[in-house]
Amino acid sequence: MNNTASVKVAKKKKPASLDAKKARAGWFFVLPFVIGFVILYIPMLISSIEFSFSKIHVLGKAGYALEFIGLENYRDALFSDAEFVRTLTESIQQLVLDVPAIVIFSLFMAIVLNQKMLGRAVFRAIFFIPVILATGLIDQIDQGNAAMDYMNSGGIDTGAGGAESEGLINTMDITNLLGNMVIGTELVEYVVGVVNNIFNIVNRSGVQMLIFLSGLQSISPAIYESCKMDGATGWETFWKITFPMISPMILVNTIYTVIDSFTSESNVVMRYINRVYNTGSLRPRELSSAMSWIYFLLVLALIGLVSLLVSAFVFYQRRD
Amino acid sequence: MNNNTTDAQLRKISRKEMQIDFEGKLSFKERLRLKYFSWKFAGELVYKIFRFVLLIGISYIIIYPFLTKILNSFMSPEDLVDVTVKLIPRHPNIDQWKFIILENDYFLALINTALISLGCAFFQTLICAIIGYGFAKFKFKGRNLLFLFVIITMLIPHDTLLLAMFMKFRYFDIYGLFGLFGLEINLINTVWPLFFLSITGLAFKNGLYIFIFRQFYRGVPDELEEAAYIDGTGVFKTFFQIILPLSIPMMTTVFLFSFSWQWTDTFYTASPFFTTSDIHLLPNIVEMPQSLKMDFAATGLWESIVTNTCGMLVILPLFIIFLFAQRQFVEGIERSGIVG
Repeated sequence: MNNTASVKVAKKKKPASLDAKKARAGWFFVLPFVIGFVILYIPMLISSIEFSFSKIHVLGKAGYALEFIGLENYRDALFSDAEFVRTLTESIQQLVLDVPAIVIFSLFMAIVLNQKMLGRAVFRAIFFIPVILATGLIDQIDQGNAAMDYMNSGGIDTGAGGAESEGLINTMDITNLLGNMVIGTELVEYVVGVVNNIFNIVNRSGVQMLIFLSGLQSISPAIYESCKMDGATGWETFWKITFPMISPMILVNTIYTVIDSFTSESNVVMRYINRVYNTGSLRPRELSSAMSWIYFLLVLALIGLVSLLVSAFVFYQRRD
Repeated sequence: MNNNTTDAQLRKISRKEMQIDFEGKLSFKERLRLKYFSWKFAGELVYKIFRFVLLIGISYIIIYPFLTKILNSFMSPEDLVDVTVKLIPRHPNIDQWKFIILENDYFLALINTALISLGCAFFQTLICAIIGYGFAKFKFKGRNLLFLFVIITMLIPHDTLLLAMFMKFRYFDIYGLFGLFGLEINLINTVWPLFFLSITGLAFKNGLYIFIFRQFYRGVPDELEEAAYIDGTGVFKTFFQIILPLSIPMMTTVFLFSFSWQWTDTFYTASPFFTTSDIHLLPNIVEMPQSLKMDFAATGLWESIVTNTCGMLVILPLFIIFLFAQRQFVEGIERSGIVG
């Protein structure tokens, strides 16, 4: 009896085990994020939600005061604002069309760029130029130029993208080509839309291509070798090996594409919200907050739906 | 009996002899025919040509806008009203480049942006590596919940938080602590907001970097650290002396990402965070220089060509960096082994 008690005391005095030590060290490693999240992010998140429910009175030096006005901002955004709902539906529609195109395109390109061939390094360098260069500022300049191009079609091309795709491929040709095959008008329209939008799609699939490339690299070459031994064709190898092995990446990339295209500054809704923020007349800031929350919730629902759909087809090699 | 003889024969014949015997049966012409006149070869050839043409075509789509912008930037106003000029200027001049560099304080903006981007990229890479390592290699209570928060910061666009962020830094306070002492801190028009966001892993796309690092460190074998622990090295020393040098390819990639995205960023370095242009940055140079303002038939086109030249000036340094770093960049992300 006495003996066991002393053992217990001894146990308590013993220095923390390696696991406990490691757990503590883990907290130290993620500490910067925890501090930032608690001190900066949560207050920002809460005040952003608050703003969307209230009216701001700026009191000069003393800061600002909030007046709670309930769902007024949301009602204004949804029912009073002439353009918001239309922009929203159009944007979601575009998103639904673009996401499969981007994911399929980037998977295809990653597979091609993963093969050994002449000038692979050069092609890879070129394909990742948009990731590095065509963001932020350049994107904005391009949008200005695209508006300009629209006004005076013809003459010198300003290289704004989008506009020049008409010169690249003739839409009528594709419509004729595919129209003769019996594959349904919807599909034809979709393909034509994708082809017309190819500049946009190529520009937006850089990161996805990188993620797919890294996924492809992690598939063991031994599997391919044994497939080849068994006489599988390239087509079979793709559907039986590459596709299941890469499917987790497809999920990641689908979600990333949705997030990326709705947070990008070139997004129509984002631009509209920014415009409201800068030029709106009645409570512009609060209204833009409410609008962004509506948009965010919609996209969150979309992400949930997409991940449910895609994860049904995802194959995990090992579960841990 | 029969088997025995063949075995014995096979043992006698060396590999080299077998080969000679085999090749001796076919003439050179025959071998060529077998190699190049088969369906398999034809199929592969067609595929290779198709692949090459496709890659060239898409490369063209990517490069074409940059090419036109660069060629346009050398055009003179006469070229714009000349309908026969399409891509290559007839009266090339360097006025646009010259006046933008001289009148828009290009070099000042370049140095300022370079400093800010370098600082941000450095802190973001280091901090995200540390956080990613914490998530990858340690099991502690609340880890999954915390990682969910990282995903949330990735999901909520900073535009949604724009106003809240502005208010936060305009009246900077930590849970009313500074307010108690009557302090009013205004961080607008300073680089502090960027710095705070960078060192806490909350800046632009930092969630993605944390995710990338987490995946990378999960692929690093545990035995490496265990060996270090057994030798008596502490957790932090192990990280900084063994793990960090190991992850240099990955860090190069993330550094390049955050550097170039910060370079062309117009969210944190523009209104409302920088309302006055006390700090002259690259986005500020995108405007018409006085000497280039003119009124003629193609004013709109002229303006967008000048803006394009500004854009080219902004990304020129980035492009040069990319040329040198692209190999590490692509290889780094390949080695990350991001798997579900």
